Amino acid sequence: MTTPCRLPVHWAVALAGMMLSAMALANDAHVLRYAAAHEATAQPLEIYGALDNDLMAPLLADFHARYPDIELTYRNLTTLTLYRRFLAEDEASADVVMSSAMPWQYQLANRGHAQALTTSAARQWPQASRWRHELFGFTFEPVVIVYRRDALEGATPPDSHETLLRLLTNERQRLKGRVVTYDPWRSGAGYTYATEDAHMSPRYWELVAALGGVEAALADTTGEMLDGLADGRYAVGYNLLGSYARDFVADHPQLEMVIPSDYALVTQRLVLIPKRARHPEAAKRFVDYLLSRQGQQVIRDKTPLGAVHTALQGEGTARDLRKTLGGAIHPIAIDPSLLATLDTLKRHSLLERWQREYTRLSESGP
Amino acid sequence: MSPSVNSPSLYRRLLIWLLVPMLALGTLMLIQAYLASRDTADRAFDRLLESASLSIAEQVKRQQGQLWMDLPPAALKMLASNAEERVFYALYDAHDNFISGNAELPRIDDGQGNMRFTNIQWHDMSLRLGVRRSQLEGWRDRQPFEVRVAHTREGREALTQTLFQGSMLRLIAMAILAIGVVLLGVRMALMPLTQLRRAIRARDPRTLAPLDLTLPRELAELRETLNDLLARMRRVRANQERFIGDASHQLRTPLAGLSARAELALRQDDPRAWHDALGVMRGSADKTARLASQLLSLTRLNNPESMPEARDIDLCDIARQAVRDALTSCHRAGIDLGVETPSHAVIQHAVQWQLAEALANLIDNASRYGASRITVRVGEAPTRLEVEDNGPGIPEAQRLLVLRPFHRGMEGGQGSGLGLAIVDGITRAHAARLTLVPARPNAEPPGLRVRLHFTEESTP
Repeated sequence: MTTPCRLPVHWAVALAGMMLSAMALANDAHVLRYAAAHEATAQPLEIYGALDNDLMAPLLADFHARYPDIELTYRNLTTLTLYRRFLAEDEASADVVMSSAMPWQYQLANRGHAQALTTSAARQWPQASRWRHELFGFTFEPVVIVYRRDALEGATPPDSHETLLRLLTNERQRLKGRVVTYDPWRSGAGYTYATEDAHMSPRYWELVAALGGVEAALADTTGEMLDGLADGRYAVGYNLLGSYARDFVADHPQLEMVIPSDYALVTQRLVLIPKRARHPEAAKRFVDYLLSRQGQQVIRDKTPLGAVHTALQGEGTARDLRKTLGGAIHPIAIDPSLLATLDTLKRHSLLERWQREYTRLSESGP
Repeated sequence: MSPSVNSPSLYRRLLIWLLVPMLALGTLMLIQAYLASRDTADRAFDRLLESASLSIAEQVKRQQGQLWMDLPPAALKMLASNAEERVFYALYDAHDNFISGNAELPRIDDGQGNMRFTNIQWHDMSLRLGVRRSQLEGWRDRQPFEVRVAHTREGREALTQTLFQGSMLRLIAMAILAIGVVLLGVRMALMPLTQLRRAIRARDPRTLAPLDLTLPRELAELRETLNDLLARMRRVRANQERFIGDASHQLRTPLAGLSARAELALRQDDPRAWHDALGVMRGSADKTARLASQLLSLTRLNNPESMPEARDIDLCDIARQAVRDALTSCHRAGIDLGVETPSHAVIQHAVQWQLAEALANLIDNASRYGASRITVRVGEAPTRLEVEDNGPGIPEAQRLLVLRPFHRGMEGGQGSGLGLAIVDGITRAHAARLTLVPARPNAEPPGLRVRLHFTEESTP
């Protein structure tokens, strides 16, 4: 990873591509199919999602077991393809669209492209995890710090933004080139986190400067960062997606995952049913299932995504995280401020500032 | 008369005229309340558009020769209330070029001031659009620009509903109260009418005494009219009673005479005396029969319910017929009876039998009161019937009195005293005028001319 150094003019052209790429771990489109039990009564249902097949499979299998008459097709796309496909009017629409790219999903719903779901599960869904009855956050994934135990021997391991800043400042020489974080220029998720971080505290810019000071590497995906941490290239990773990191860290004993205790951003996958959905009945059944206790239980037990349902508890659930972290938990709000993230000028302003802070220490430093 | 179901009720009419306008007014007030609620909600929510656009406009700068802004997320949050409106914003430069935003919003051309609002339909959505005109406050250039913000109407509608429901409840309460007051008021206002009805119903049907009841002015007039009618009925009844008294007296006298004459004849044994007595009794009976038939005519004339059939008739025919009918008896009494008619027919709309009756009575009267020459005359312009005689005439002072039943112009005369009364009744029934004048004012005896003038409106 090299330090990005682009002219502002360029990214106005390449904007959409840069923003939307790399939200999902797998870029290549995979398709999962579940045939209906009886061909005659089969109801088709087409789901487009920016979620890896192995994460989706348990959910889809369980759903299919409950509704064997639905002929299920799951298409795994990148968030960019998803968004583009959606807006291409001539394309046949999916019945359900799921994505972790919160601002884009919000933008679609805001433009009136989604239809309302008013089943009892939808009505009881926590207010903070839905917008109108059109957009539902069905996962609860904290943004975390991951570090290698062996690399930080003798230093205080970071458990908050505050201690991370101190670590980066104190161990600047030792950590040079061994810290990794999202590239806000290339990764939509990284940009969203940067916006939220900057919004949370002005001291975030000190942290960016410190990251620049240690010449932190910039990655596109959480997977990339985890791989780098596992093979020892990096000692500390900042702003990784907790849902992926949790299982990975469990498999790699030298790694440690920390949910920052001062504030922990939480991102949610948002699901919507397009107005143009060809099979709205089946789509409503699926989303209702996602929000139901059974669906959420599968999410809790068989995926690392984190259940939102208020009645569920256990590791990784929203209820558990709220209980352990209390006020520090900070889900990214599903409200119009997400639209500000998408503003081109806003994006330019923020990234320019980010770039300035990032290069501050390296230019003036020793 | 019992009040029929179909006859319009005053109570109902009053209620309709009071309640229908009231309901119309209530509906208007409801519409007005709704519009006012919407207006209030719009004004309240327009403040959100105003502050959001202001906070965006404050972030607009000039950078590298272009308009630039650092969009404050709070400004967008401001646009959405609890109703989770869809929000849209856009920045446009002075030449209406889109700079940034999440939707291309139209501009507002009409209106004044820096902040303008309007309702638009945009991609199947009802939006409230607010456009802020502003300009850069730089040292060098003061470039104008527009911040356009819009949101859907859910929040406004919710507030409108809340406000409208409040006013609606108040209005309904007022309407119920008003309807109650109207019902009570109408009942109270119509109370004197019920009093009047009860007072009339409670009266003895034979009483014609005036109503004595304190009533409001409008009904007092009705009471006075009723009392006038009662007074007239009292007079009519007095007349009737007197007439009946007179009639029975008149009938009793000849009957008593008959009875006395028969008794006298029975005491005698001479058949000649019986014969004489029978002759006298027949004359008396004839006279009584004539009296009875005259009474009948008078009753028929005075009966307001009878509606005789009038048609166009020739007065000359009537006059000739009357003369023909009376000719024999006049000839026997040595009276010269003549008729004078124009050579052509004189047509008048009238009841034939009544005119014939009148002429017969007049001829009879003249022959009984000592005339030796009677002329029946038909005149034109004005159309008239005349009977003229050379009898003793009627002194001027008596001329009105003789028209009353049972008044005889001369004591000891042979008439029943009903003839002229009948003629007067017929004249009235034809709306004609009756005049009694001396035939030859300066001669002795002066004679009498009785004339029936038919006027324009002379139809029975």
